[in-house]
Parts: sequence; C-alpha cells; structure tokens
Amino acid sequence: MLSPAIVVIALVAAYPIGYAIWLSLNEYSVRVPGLSRFAGFDNYTEALGSPEFWNAVVTTFIFTGISVALELALGLAMALAMHEAFRGRGLLRTVVLVPWAVLTVVSAITWRTIFEPNLGLAPQVLSTLGLPGADIVWLGESGYALAVMVLADVWKTAPFMALLLLAGLQVIPNDLYDAAKVDGATTWQRFLRVTLPLLTPAILVALIFRTLDALRIFDLPYVLTRGANDTTTLSLIAHQELTSNRLIGYGSALSVLTFVIVMAVSLLYIRTVGGNIRALAEEK
Amino acid sequence: MRRLRPLALAAAILALALAACGDDDDGGAGGGAADAESVSQAKATGDVTWCIGKDTTGAFGTVVENFNKANPEANVELLQLPESADEQRRLQIQRLRAESPECDVLGMDVIWTAEYAAQGWLLDVTEAVEKRKDEFIPSTLNTALYEDKYWAVPFNTNAGFIYYRTDQEAQPPENWQAMYEEAQKGNGLIYQGARYEGLTVNFLELLYSAGGNVINEDGTEATADSQETRDVLTFMNQGIEDGAVPKAVTTYMEEESRRAFEAGDATFMRNWPYAYALAKESNIADDFAVTTFPSYQGNQGAGVLGGYDLAISAYSENPEGSLAFINFATSPEQQVLMVTKASLPPVTTSVYSDPQVEKTLPFAAELLDAVEQAKPRPVSPVYPQISEAIYTNVFAALQGDMTPDEAASTMNEEIQKALETF
Repeated sequence: MLSPAIVVIALVAAYPIGYAIWLSLNEYSVRVPGLSRFAGFDNYTEALGSPEFWNAVVTTFIFTGISVALELALGLAMALAMHEAFRGRGLLRTVVLVPWAVLTVVSAITWRTIFEPNLGLAPQVLSTLGLPGADIVWLGESGYALAVMVLADVWKTAPFMALLLLAGLQVIPNDLYDAAKVDGATTWQRFLRVTLPLLTPAILVALIFRTLDALRIFDLPYVLTRGANDTTTLSLIAHQELTSNRLIGYGSALSVLTFVIVMAVSLLYIRTVGGNIRALAEEK
Repeated sequence: MRRLRPLALAAAILALALAACGDDDDGGAGGGAADAESVSQAKATGDVTWCIGKDTTGAFGTVVENFNKANPEANVELLQLPESADEQRRLQIQRLRAESPECDVLGMDVIWTAEYAAQGWLLDVTEAVEKRKDEFIPSTLNTALYEDKYWAVPFNTNAGFIYYRTDQEAQPPENWQAMYEEAQKGNGLIYQGARYEGLTVNFLELLYSAGGNVINEDGTEATADSQETRDVLTFMNQGIEDGAVPKAVTTYMEEESRRAFEAGDATFMRNWPYAYALAKESNIADDFAVTTFPSYQGNQGAGVLGGYDLAISAYSENPEGSLAFINFATSPEQQVLMVTKASLPPVTTSVYSDPQVEKTLPFAAELLDAVEQAKPRPVSPVYPQISEAIYTNVFAALQGDMTPDEAASTMNEEIQKALETF
C-alpha cells in the first residue's frame, strides 16, 4: 500500500530535488547556446568560498532567530488572550487572522510605503509624536532595514503562531487548572507548571513551521530593499544568480545549499520534538 | 525485505529522474550569433503573437487593431506580460529556452539584446533595418546592434532629464558641480539611488559625461578602475556627505523620487520623461521645468538610453509576418500614436516635429536632443552581472561602506569576472 504514496513523493519532491542537484554539478554557458560542461563540485567550492554566501547565511539566521522568537512571544500572548471566554471572542479570532491572509508581497509593498522617508506613515507619526527615529532612513541603514523586515514578518505571521498555539491550549483539560487552584497555585504558577509543559508539543510544531518558513524568506527583502543594507538572504542570492544572472549551475548550487541548511534545521527540530513528546508520555 | 522495497523504489525513481534530465540542455546546439538565421522579406500574412509588457494605456492594443484592419490576411495577437521588466524577461526566457513558438515578436528592453542574440534566440534583421536606417535616431539603432548585426528594430526610447523648480532656480544648472552646489543651498537633488538597475543608469550618466566607461569597445576587458570612475564616485559620495543629496536617495527608485519631488521635498530631480505628465497634475505643476543633463567638468552631459526594441524569435513560425508587423509598429504614424496614447518617446526622428507630438510632449525638442546624445549601457551577454557589479559597488560608495578607490577596483574585478563567465 505504500508504493503509490512513494511514487507521489518521488514525483513532487525527489524529482525536482534530484534535478536541482544535477544542475548544480554542471555549468551552462551564458554565451554559447546549448553549451554546458560537467563541473563536479566547482559550483559548491565557489559558493562556500564567497563572502556573499556567508553573509547571506548570517543574515538569514539572524532574521530567523529574532523574528521567530518575537512571533512566539506575541503569538503566545495572543493565544492566551483569545483562549479566555469573553464577548466577541469569535470575531476577535477572525480579525486577528487578517494579516496572515494578506499576500506577503502586498504587505511588503505596504511596509515599504509606510517607511518611505519623510512621506511615509512611520516617519510622519514618529515626528508628530516627537519620538526619535523620524529622521532615520529606515530602509537605508544596516540594522534598521533588518528591523523593518522583522517587523513586517512578525506582523504577518504572529497570528498564525497564535492560532496553532490556541489549538494546543484548547486540548488542555480544565480539571488540571481546577486542581491547581485547589492546591493554591497562583496564576503565574498555573501558567508555568500546567500550561507551558502541556503546550510544549504545540509550541514545537509551531516553531518548526515558522523557522522553516523564515529560513526561506524571499519576498520581504526582495520588495523592501532588494537585499541592500545587509538584508540579502539565502533565497535572494539564489534567485539573483538563477534568474537575473542566469548562472544556472551556480544558482542551483546555492539552492541546494539552502535546502541542506533547512533540512538540517528541520531534522534537529524533529529530534527535539520527538524526544520531548516521548519524555512527556513517560512522565504520564 | 519489505522495509527495503519502498527505499529501492525511491532510489530507482531518483535515478530515472537524474538520467532523464541529463540530456536536457544538449539539444539545439546552434552557433549563436555567428550563424543565426535571418529574415529580410516582410509579408503581411498569417498569425503573429506579440509578447510585450502590460498594455497599461491601451496603445499596444490600438497598434494591433490598426495593423489587422490594414492587413486582412494577417492576424496579430497581443500577449501581455507583467509590468515589471524582470518578470517580462523571465517569462520570455522561459519560452525561448523551451524553444516555444508561442511568441513571434518580442518586446525587449534594450539591455537584453546582446544576451538574447548570443543565445541564438533571435532572427537577424540586419537587411530589413539597413533599408530603413535613415528613419531612426542613430543612437537608438545602437541598442539593437550586437556583433555588427541588427537583431531588433527600435520601438520606443528613453533618456533621463533634470527636473528643477523654477520658483527656486532662475535658470537651469550649467554643470553638475554647480547643480550640486545649488542643491546644497536649496532643497537638494534626488535621483534613483537604491541598489538596483536604476542606480547603474544614474551612475553611468555621470561616468559617460566624465568620459569614462566600464568595459572596452569590443566588450572583452573591464575598464572601470579608472580616474573617471573614482572621480564620479567621490562626487556622488560627497554629494550625500555635504547634504546636497538627501540620504533617503539610497532607498529611492523612480516612483519614490517622483513622489518626493511632487511633495516639494527637492529642488532638482533626475528622472525619466514619464514623470513630466504626472508632475503637471501635482501641486507643483506650474513651478518646475525640465532640461537635458548639464555638462560635467567641461564635457558635454551624456544620458543613458532606455526603451524597448522589437525582435523576432528564432522559434517563430511566421518570421515574414512578424517583420511586416514590426515595420508597421515602428512606422511614423504608429509612433505618433505611441506618444499621444502612451507618452512613449518615439524612435523615428521625423515624429518629434509632429504637431500632435509637440502638444503631448512640450519638451519634444529637448527629448530628441537627449536621446541623440545618449549612449547605450554596456553591450554584453553578461549585462545583468555587469550591472550588478556596478550598482552594488556604487551603492557601497554612496553608503560610505567602501572608499571610492575600493569601490572602483572591486567593481572592475567583478566586471572582469563577469566578462570571463563560461
């Protein structure tokens, strides 16, 4: 019964990956039509030896680390709020998801306009309120540009995080809270000792989703800065080499390296999640 | 054994997949530009598909309609590609690599000519162009030239201008240096300084005016590590340091520049002619004028050519019909229509003195001057890499991340590396 599933996986996943690996082992001429040559690992040596690649790795990981951490904190807060019973809860749950429904490219263009020097909403508001930062060209400075990128990403995906965590919260039985209350646990203690441990599997699943997405980030830096001011991510250089410079071999090598990095991170997560869930099961 | 079966199956499929893609790119090994096929005879019959960027003004559609009406035996269809030039190129290349006959006539940004021709994707139209050579502005024809042959017919052109506030400046600036000084006293000069193709253009305008270039005549050697490059980079960097040019420029593309100028945030702006009509509807409608580039250190100012050419795909099934349509679309009557309907600067000289054109583009005479003076960007099949080498290093110099000396030598190295690409 397994075979059809494996055939499907092979077609949709293995084939493109295999093709990309094959492309990355060759060089395709940009001068002579149809000319190509086998390059072995030359493309990889070139990529691994270029500061551009390592800068992109660093940028991608900084972006992923900060944005996913913020999304987790914010998402958890939103999930806890939405979990409480109050009037209009259903409406709130829907409204909160709106940013997630907006296409990233569209929201990126919006953020670009918001941070447009002088004319944008952000500098206007900051200067009206007399806050610092009104004179900063946000997308024109290292650090600030990355901050805008993180902000745009958190705005969009924190709701998604919240939704996944809310689902996790809803399966925690109320009896546990009642029992904790009887034992005289404070709200903070109930959160630390009941909610957090039981929510861990949901948190890890949400983290996997967000981390893998963040590692592949392309649309935000492409629209916001075109990679200027230390916002060039792995996907962005792969795209630049593949479609703009048409260096198909080298670009594919960059894509494969991105794939390997993402794969390594996801394996790491899966081990942690697996171990964690097993540990929880044993405790019970 | 049972555990191994799926694994073996997956491995077999992977092996098959790898084998299948092995002979992908070996086919179609033509000789490229050297022995490409040509078309010289135009015949207005059969089906032709015209693939060009989005028809935002309806002008392209009107040309197609006019052609179909005049030639009942032919039928041209318009296939609109996205608005962004990068996307247009991506979609055209996708079809050309697949040897698809879907697009007969390609609307090509002038910087793609060398790349497309080198790949053997275009038909040689030298004979057809030679016959009509006198009609065109000579500089625009250079954008269709690669290895001494014409691969396309100019369709519309473009050249940068200086916009200035007439309520702040009594007369247009005499030279670049004076303009920067005036800008420093006034509200500044803005241009396209973000890290993208536009910055390459803005830099080359100054470099060409200074008498420099980034590659040699036959495109084999990088010549960017020159005194001219260092001067221009120092000049641009100094402009930002002194406040003649606001820091915000390093995030500006065309639209951001236009909005800032219209909001009254600048005394001078470098932009394309399209901004004229829009600025005429803004708050500063009566307070600005346009002028051609001023001189630079005693040299006459030079612009950089933009615009689109029309080429015939090597995979077209109707080259003669395609040529007939191109001749029609680039004829003076249709060029007038391009101006009045879409404000696209024409490529045929005579059109600039047409009363209708002068009405739509009040600065038609200056525009013709600017286009005649303008030079093409480096002609090379690796142009995208050359441009990337230019704008990343100019940007680093603007930001102060590199000294002008470092930026010039890194730019040169990267251009040289690009020229040596396999």
